[in-house]
Amino acid sequence: MNMLLITFFMLCTTMIKSQTLQIALPTNEKVEKEQQNKVKQSEAVTIIIDGKLTDNGLSDPNEGMLFYYDGMPETSNLANGESNMKQIEFGANTGGAYPAIREILQERNKEVVLKIADLKKEWKDMKFSKNEEINDSIYQAKAKAIRNDSTLKRPVVIIKATPNASYAHVVSVLDEMQINNISRYQIDRINEVDSAMMIMVQAKNLKK
Amino acid sequence: MGKVKIKKKETRIDMTAMSDVTVLLLTFFMLTSTFLQKEPVTVITPPSVSEEKVPDANLLSILVSPEGKVFLEVTGSKDSTMKSETVRADLLKNMVAEYKKTHPSANLAFTNKELETFSKLNAFGVPITKMKEWLNLETDVRDKALEEGPGIPINMNEDPNNPNEFQMWIRAAYNSMNPELQEAMVKGRGIAIKADQTTPYSVVNVVMDNLQTMKMNKFRRNKIWQLKVKVVRKSSIPVSTSLLWLT
Repeated sequence: MNMLLITFFMLCTTMIKSQTLQIALPTNEKVEKEQQNKVKQSEAVTIIIDGKLTDNGLSDPNEGMLFYYDGMPETSNLANGESNMKQIEFGANTGGAYPAIREILQERNKEVVLKIADLKKEWKDMKFSKNEEINDSIYQAKAKAIRNDSTLKRPVVIIKATPNASYAHVVSVLDEMQINNISRYQIDRINEVDSAMMIMVQAKNLKK
Repeated sequence: MGKVKIKKKETRIDMTAMSDVTVLLLTFFMLTSTFLQKEPVTVITPPSVSEEKVPDANLLSILVSPEGKVFLEVTGSKDSTMKSETVRADLLKNMVAEYKKTHPSANLAFTNKELETFSKLNAFGVPITKMKEWLNLETDVRDKALEEGPGIPINMNEDPNNPNEFQMWIRAAYNSMNPELQEAMVKGRGIAIKADQTTPYSVVNVVMDNLQTMKMNKFRRNKIWQLKVKVVRKSSIPVSTSLLWLT
């Protein structure tokens, strides 16, 4: 009798709780040029996620490509296949492969990442407080202050995805923002310049 | 010669200890677990490093199937102040009012019995004109109809004055009689998008764009951390060692 009841509970219930990630999106309303948040060119990094559709119209989370460029897109010599866009393997989510984008983001966010690493060392040695909980909360507050410290050089990441990219791709790139302590990032829509550059970069890489 | 005496073994085993343990186990399962909610589509959400939990109260979940069908799930507050049933019944009434704004000639009216049926459903997603018919189906036929149906009608629409049905539902939920849900939506913890990991971005983009039009820009992306995935992710992303190349 008891065993039966236990089996019932094991089959019909769950103990897993879903987890979330909060993101903010820009509004769809037309914003005046003067009111737009301007991003310094030297700080901006644009990441474009591309995926591959399978025969049944779904996107394969294990196949993906990333494109990125710093600052404004450089298209003056696009006809010859020259632009400042680079292509890298996705790497994430393939069971242990090193996500190539992480190196690039860490390089851009070096000042913050180094400071957080120092802070983490102090946190490990319980330098803030002997009490574990207080130690944790002081660490969290200090890490947040570093992430939002405007005196440091911090990148602004603009994330774009092609229609073929999968939801898993987008979530893992958002994860990279957390891993690399990037406080300013945004999801935006892909435009014609981006897709033109992507086609040229891909064509150029195929020739090699 | 003396005979070797074979001891007769006692064949009965003492079961007391075992039944004690099973009772304990049973109590444990009863207390710690929650029942699985019926969902119209099975969604495998992508793994992530985020450790934030999904709120279990005052939440509007948008369930997106890989094919792009959209379903909604609404929960009320945890205590009895705003039960899920009340919130859902209000939601449907609001939706009728919203729909009549753009379709004044529509003949939409739900009986109390239909409202009650609706309030007990965890997920829904049929065009509002088919809602009455759908609510009057038998339970198992209804679940099947939901699975095979088209979901909530949604398209790319950036005109908030002429909303599509999905946007009407969002607005109806926002205007429902539940101040807690409204507050959660304003603060950006009231809406969760739950999509399968294989869903193409074009599909997710439509949902996000619709929310942007409704000015519900802050929302959560929902995903489940399966225990297995968690372990795999933890060993595959050693954040501390990946920092080494810098130092």
